[in-house]
Amino acid sequence: MNLYAGKILFVDLTKNTITSEPIKEEWLKDYIGCWGLGLRYFYDLVDPEVDPLSPENAVVVMTGPLGGTNTPLSARFALISKSPQTGTVFESNTGGAFAPELKFAGYDGIIITGKASKLSYIKIDDNKVSIEDASDMAGDGIFNTEIKLKEAIESHEAKTLSIGPAGENCVPYACIGTETYRQMGRGGGGALFGSKNLKGIVCRGTGSIKVSDMKSFLSLIENYKNTSVLHEDNLWAKTDGTPMLMDVTCEMGIHPTRNFTYGINEDVEKINSETMKKFKIGDRACATCLFACGKYTHVNGSEMEGPEYETLVLGGSNCGINDLETIIIFNRLCDDLGLDTISCGNVIGLAMDLAEKGRKDFNLKFGEVSEYLKVITEIAQLSTERGKILSEGSRQMAEKYNSHDLTTEVKGMEFPAYDPRGSYGMGINYAMSERGACHMRAFTAFEEEVFDIEKMAQAVVGGQNFNTAKWSTGLCDVWANSTLEILADIMSNGLGEEIKTEDLEIAGERIWNLTRLFNLKAGLTADDDSLPRKMTQAIQKGPYDGNVFSDEDFNKAKAMFYEMRGWDENGIPSKEKLAELGLDQI
Amino acid sequence: MDGKCLIAIPELCTGCNRCAYMCSALKTNKFSPYNALIKTHNFSLNGFSVPNVCYHCESPDCLKACPEEAIIKDETTGIVTVDEELCTGCGECVAKCPYGMIELNSEKIAKKCNLCDGDPACVKECNFGAIIFEEPDREMKKEINAHRRIRIEGKSAENKRHQRSQTILENNRKL
Repeated sequence: MNLYAGKILFVDLTKNTITSEPIKEEWLKDYIGCWGLGLRYFYDLVDPEVDPLSPENAVVVMTGPLGGTNTPLSARFALISKSPQTGTVFESNTGGAFAPELKFAGYDGIIITGKASKLSYIKIDDNKVSIEDASDMAGDGIFNTEIKLKEAIESHEAKTLSIGPAGENCVPYACIGTETYRQMGRGGGGALFGSKNLKGIVCRGTGSIKVSDMKSFLSLIENYKNTSVLHEDNLWAKTDGTPMLMDVTCEMGIHPTRNFTYGINEDVEKINSETMKKFKIGDRACATCLFACGKYTHVNGSEMEGPEYETLVLGGSNCGINDLETIIIFNRLCDDLGLDTISCGNVIGLAMDLAEKGRKDFNLKFGEVSEYLKVITEIAQLSTERGKILSEGSRQMAEKYNSHDLTTEVKGMEFPAYDPRGSYGMGINYAMSERGACHMRAFTAFEEEVFDIEKMAQAVVGGQNFNTAKWSTGLCDVWANSTLEILADIMSNGLGEEIKTEDLEIAGERIWNLTRLFNLKAGLTADDDSLPRKMTQAIQKGPYDGNVFSDEDFNKAKAMFYEMRGWDENGIPSKEKLAELGLDQI
Repeated sequence: MDGKCLIAIPELCTGCNRCAYMCSALKTNKFSPYNALIKTHNFSLNGFSVPNVCYHCESPDCLKACPEEAIIKDETTGIVTVDEELCTGCGECVAKCPYGMIELNSEKIAKKCNLCDGDPACVKECNFGAIIFEEPDREMKKEINAHRRIRIEGKSAENKRHQRSQTILENNRKL
């Protein structure tokens, strides 16, 4: 087979069985790979009403058709499952080099079901696959687990996915780590591994991926590399990486500061890209990347790849922490213990706000370092009362302290680092995402007319369809001027058969609608497509001082979004839409 | 080749592995970094990667080890290559190369870098300047020699490369 490895691995941890099956070729055109293909397998396998942390839930890890080739920035892959954080089906993707490694071992994806009787890991040594005892890794952080997994397979160049104590303890915002500093961060993938007694996966692949005509493929890639990827608009990734956004979002007035109270951080220069550059000692890339947006940073003996923009804001500005070394320590702890930095920064910021408002004192105060760093381990290990409370997430904390006015979450997933009160498109994006507040589904922050409800609703629909198709190939967002036309061209060349741009366009819409169908069956209603109360209170400071995203405006946007999607007023896809997408028989 | 050699600069390597993707594509007609003739070893925890290249030694250990005289050093270009017709796959060269840069492929034939006959594709593919092909100046020569003095014996090729790369990382972080 060209572009695909051709096989899917099925691991049943309850029965302790491993099988492989040829990839369902009849699904490839409609669902592509990664999110789309993973979702298609998941949809067939899992009852939408399943308890996410039960053995009956499945975890699908899926690569895309471009992974394993030298298509620039093509090494991303997806995890699809029902989220313990939101109760919806969700997709989480990351880069690194695990995806190509898995394909070189001969598999496009892994479908994991059941629950192991003791802590285990999956070992994939080309076609030799086994379930192994991971008891000696119990309680280990991700950094140490990666080392042990590589020792177990006797290859330092093996690639891994693993969880830390947060995942083992099923913290709903526990992440899965790979290549030390990269994560499937959002939606609780780590808790899903933990619920299955799965500490990690280690993979070594010595095989290959084929294309239809290598000479022609290489020449096509060389052409896109020079005419599109290395475009000057993308070069920020090489020079600055995502911290570039620190100053930008402050200027825009959408920079979450002190639990989303302010729209700017007046001390941003202490933790912005210019400051990070003074401490940078290296650039780090995912497989096949031309930019290396990961900035390896060293401050006073604390070092890591990062921090990235989201972590600088949520762990920094949002907690009143304006010291780069402290944020590095926060970030390393989260990466090692296996916590999503976005949710973790939100939750700690909320706890600090609850204290400031006199509603509950967690001994956490804006800007105070020592307890802020201490509580991270307490959350991951559930080792203290406050650690347990914070581990449940913002929504549960709001319930407990009658504080829904202070939280920033959608469907139980905390906000990323763009305040919707200064960028309505991002608010619509958060509210309409399948997995709760996610900035990636349709990134509208840099659109013109961010307060034009109709244009923003349209931008969100378009962004969701485009990204869903693009991510299903395995491509990264940093190739920002990539188009479905380019991706169809590369896929057609590699496969040796024509993929039309329209095929990819409609695949994006199909995948989004199938996600919706699952979520409706899981119990999601239109009421869940909403924004938190805080958005109706004024943001303070910056260019949008005093702005709100009113219920009236939001509800208008929501109605337009549903209509543009071909969904009724309850957010249910029409029969005509489903028929158009070939989803009426599913 | 006017004294040009393939030079790896680990401090600039990002671990993207494009060199190996391209090398394998050209040599095997498939994408298979494991079968590439340039090998990047990665230390993600430390944010460091080391591209391992063949030095085309003046007096190559692999050549001396070969009982079949299947390894040849071109007198004009200095490029060290394997004559696949003569190779019996005994593996003596693999054992003797202190850098882990010659290995048997799945058909049990010794495989090593041939500098793409004097125009290495990996160099053109590197977007970070971490692999260059030029005549080294005095300073650079010192650096290369320091790397070449890291010789490992009695391990698999992959483990030799890993240990060398680890040493290069440790030396780099001491500075």
